[in-house]
Amino acid sequence: MTNTATGIIRALNSGIKHIATKRFTLRYPEEKLKFVGDGYQFDPSTGVGIAGLKGRHMLFHDHCTGCQLCSIACEGVAEAIAMVKVPEEQKQNKKSIMPQIDYGKCVFCGLCVDACPFYALYMTNDYELSSFSKEGLIYTPAQLAVKPYVEQDSEIIITKYGATHG
Amino acid sequence: MTAELPPGLAIQKVDERIMTLNVGPQHPGSGHMRIIVQIDGDYIVACDPDPGYVHRGEEKMAEYRNYITNIPHLERPVIHDSCNALYPYVLGVEELLGIEVPERAKYVRVICSELNRCIYIMYWLAIYGIFLGHSTMFMWPAGDRELLIDLMEKISGARVTHAHFVPGGVRNDLPPNFEEVCLRQVNYFEKRIREYAAVFYDNPILISRTQDTGVLSREDAIRLGTTGSVLRASGVSYDLRQKEPYDVYEELDVHSPVMKEGDSYARSKIPWLDMLESCNIIKQALQKMPKSGSVRVKLKPNPKGKGLDSVYKRVESGRGSLGCHIVSDGKVEPYRLKLSVGSFRNLIALPYLLKGEKLGNMPSVYWSLNYWPVEADR
Amino acid sequence: MSVIAPNFKLSGFIKSIIDDAVWFLLIFSLIGFPVVMMVLFVIPMPVIDGELLTPFLAFTYLADPTRTLPIVQAFMTTDMFKIMAFPGFGFAALLAAGTIFVERKMLAKLQLRVGPFYCGKVEGILQLAGDGLKLISKEIIIPAKADKPIFWAAPVLFVASAAAFVALIPVAPGWVVADVDMGLLAVFAVIGFFPIVTILSAWSANSKFPFIGGIRALFQMVSFEIPLILSLLGVVMVTGTLNLSEIAASQSSFPWIVFLPVGAIVFFITMLAELERIPFDLPEAESEIVAGWLTELSGMMYGLVQLGTYLKLYAFAALFVVLFLGGWNGPMIVPPFPMELATEGIELGPVTAKIGGLEPLLTEVITQEMLNGTLMFVLKTVGVIFFILLPRGVFPRIRVDMLLNLGWTKLIGLAFVNIFIALALVYAGVLGPGGLQ
Repeated sequence: MTNTATGIIRALNSGIKHIATKRFTLRYPEEKLKFVGDGYQFDPSTGVGIAGLKGRHMLFHDHCTGCQLCSIACEGVAEAIAMVKVPEEQKQNKKSIMPQIDYGKCVFCGLCVDACPFYALYMTNDYELSSFSKEGLIYTPAQLAVKPYVEQDSEIIITKYGATHG
Repeated sequence: MTAELPPGLAIQKVDERIMTLNVGPQHPGSGHMRIIVQIDGDYIVACDPDPGYVHRGEEKMAEYRNYITNIPHLERPVIHDSCNALYPYVLGVEELLGIEVPERAKYVRVICSELNRCIYIMYWLAIYGIFLGHSTMFMWPAGDRELLIDLMEKISGARVTHAHFVPGGVRNDLPPNFEEVCLRQVNYFEKRIREYAAVFYDNPILISRTQDTGVLSREDAIRLGTTGSVLRASGVSYDLRQKEPYDVYEELDVHSPVMKEGDSYARSKIPWLDMLESCNIIKQALQKMPKSGSVRVKLKPNPKGKGLDSVYKRVESGRGSLGCHIVSDGKVEPYRLKLSVGSFRNLIALPYLLKGEKLGNMPSVYWSLNYWPVEADR
Repeated sequence: MSVIAPNFKLSGFIKSIIDDAVWFLLIFSLIGFPVVMMVLFVIPMPVIDGELLTPFLAFTYLADPTRTLPIVQAFMTTDMFKIMAFPGFGFAALLAAGTIFVERKMLAKLQLRVGPFYCGKVEGILQLAGDGLKLISKEIIIPAKADKPIFWAAPVLFVASAAAFVALIPVAPGWVVADVDMGLLAVFAVIGFFPIVTILSAWSANSKFPFIGGIRALFQMVSFEIPLILSLLGVVMVTGTLNLSEIAASQSSFPWIVFLPVGAIVFFITMLAELERIPFDLPEAESEIVAGWLTELSGMMYGLVQLGTYLKLYAFAALFVVLFLGGWNGPMIVPPFPMELATEGIELGPVTAKIGGLEPLLTEVITQEMLNGTLMFVLKTVGVIFFILLPRGVFPRIRVDMLLNLGWTKLIGLAFVNIFIALALVYAGVLGPGGLQ
């Protein structure tokens, strides 16, 4: 009986104490999380990646040789990468094909980045890829070449009165 | 018409007193499965768990993909425990291909694995809380889980489906300044989960509700082949991190919690104690980890097994022993891949535990079995 | 760290206020005036300057405050005003809406999240209006094999029972809708309606989960009514009356919770059970029986049941205040209205503005006692409601057998202890005739 009473009082006390604790919610559209680095990258010479967010890809047109290794790597995973002909006014490679990525299918595993031996395909911090149509999710090589601007301003701050995103 | 019908299709004689309830698949207390419960008043007469609603054929899929492209989809069954779900596969492939993993990569794997175990248990605990009608115990773990998801995001670049372990190590090294951030957040996380005791684990209403319900004796637990927290709650000290240490677990101090009671309360408390132990292991691993070195062995693009070969590896996941049997016939794809999952083995105990229980105990007993429907269906 | 509303502009804020005002005026002139007209036809009109008002005259007098205020006064003393607005339904519904908002914000705070935040610019105060609008606009789906008349009637009956309960609560001296001599018995009678409405709704839905929920609700309410009634007998013994207004008035020097704490605790626990609040929300246990007896209700039917539930919550909290915390009694903190403004008029430089009809309104209807009593009552009720809401954050649900065990053995025993305490106090002469009061 005393155990029950103290238990109930402890629970109520803990509940009331938490009313004064800081809120932990990340208010997403107003606050955006900070990430490590510029996105997941891969160094083929050592065979080790560099930590970062696996977001939208970025294609370096001057490095891409059209070897299709990224597309082959994606075959068993999501079949999101298709090699398409590049328009003539853009920078060309030998086969004049470059990857085009369908983000409706991509699972952001990053195995295509691991497969690229020419430092041509990296991932960036851009994760806001929503679109009103399925076609809008297909990124052409020209769209992939654009470096995204990503706002990041909030990280987890731990204080005496609890953790917050700030 | 003498052919035996399967049990679900057979026409049963209707007893006026017995009411059949379909708990699931569209029911807040079921998950992706159905439990056919027959009740007499408030007492459960019979119970028939009916999994299989989310079967995806992961094992068959694996036979058509090579050893590397298997990685992203083999972690799909348990996306919130994805490192542990991938662990036995990666260990098995390493043995098949004969790869030696660098020391630092092993420690990184242990840290990721323990972080993921905590992430999984927090998710489990959140649902356990809402199953018992405790909405605070849903919100707190779901929020505090963010601390560890943030850490995993820093390591692997993804919040839930990490695809971080590969045969030969891990995909990338830890980010700079990670040890300090990890220690700070894990310490705060540990402080937070200790606070759960006051409102949840020491709460007299919870104790009186879950104690002595769904008791699984030590003999039954072994006989039914349960694993993980269910087995340890019944008094069997069996943790693969201690009994069959893989990677660097033998160099770390692992004190896996054991309780004797075998009731819902013990089964729900063991994962919580597991989390405290995981925090301890993460801190040890951060201390003992080599400060620099390679984390990944360079592999050939399409690795092949050496002729006809098979390997079975298992690890302690959030739901108990998780085994992976890989048969190779020398091609780039595995010939056969079989997952032996803890969820399915724990679910077997459900009809035994629910028989004769009250209907009000059904959610607590069901979820205390540490069962994840998607993993059981594969 | 970014700010929450980076695009905040004062001009935009003012514009939104003006927009709101225009909309309010539009709706008021289109709906409000006809309603006022209809009301004026119904209520008895006062005699002003030796002339009986007609509704048509009343509108012409709207421009003249000396004749408006007597109409207001006449309206405020009608039964209709009491039922619809102040001590009755409107007041209770306002407090119930406040309760829902406070519950959501407080629970969110306790659970380290934000709660309603964006609707209504300021901490989501318009969230409830939005939810209500959503519920009204939703389709009502009735199960094919339901007993339709009863199923339709049940939510309405639920709100009606709750409103009947509210009508018995005295808010300030003289301000009660139904001042019944047997007030407490009437309360017990109204409480007895809830299990019937619940089981009617549950059974008529012709579905398994509502049925189990309804049976559980019946179990719970019937078995907790007995300790509820017994726990209040102590108060009846020491006051010697069943009239709620007299019980409240009898606590002018000290509330009964001082002498009868056991009864107060028993009443509080049974109150939680009657209200189906956590930890006693078995009839709505979602992980076992989906939503209990509310499973098949949809759209505004569900909204009505929620409204009824929160009205009931307010009524029970108010009953606790009336019986144990002294009702409207308390220190006088509302300052007296400067009466010379009403009698002599307001001096604005050379002009003296005198508002006719203000003096009788302030001395007869909106008195200082009434304002202070209402304030005290609301403060106490809010305190009780806080303690009703708090367990939702920290306790899990209990089981049926534990609930019945608690109700039939422990609480009834404690209620008898309370009765003996009350008897001892009366016989020892501490309370009652010749005692402290």
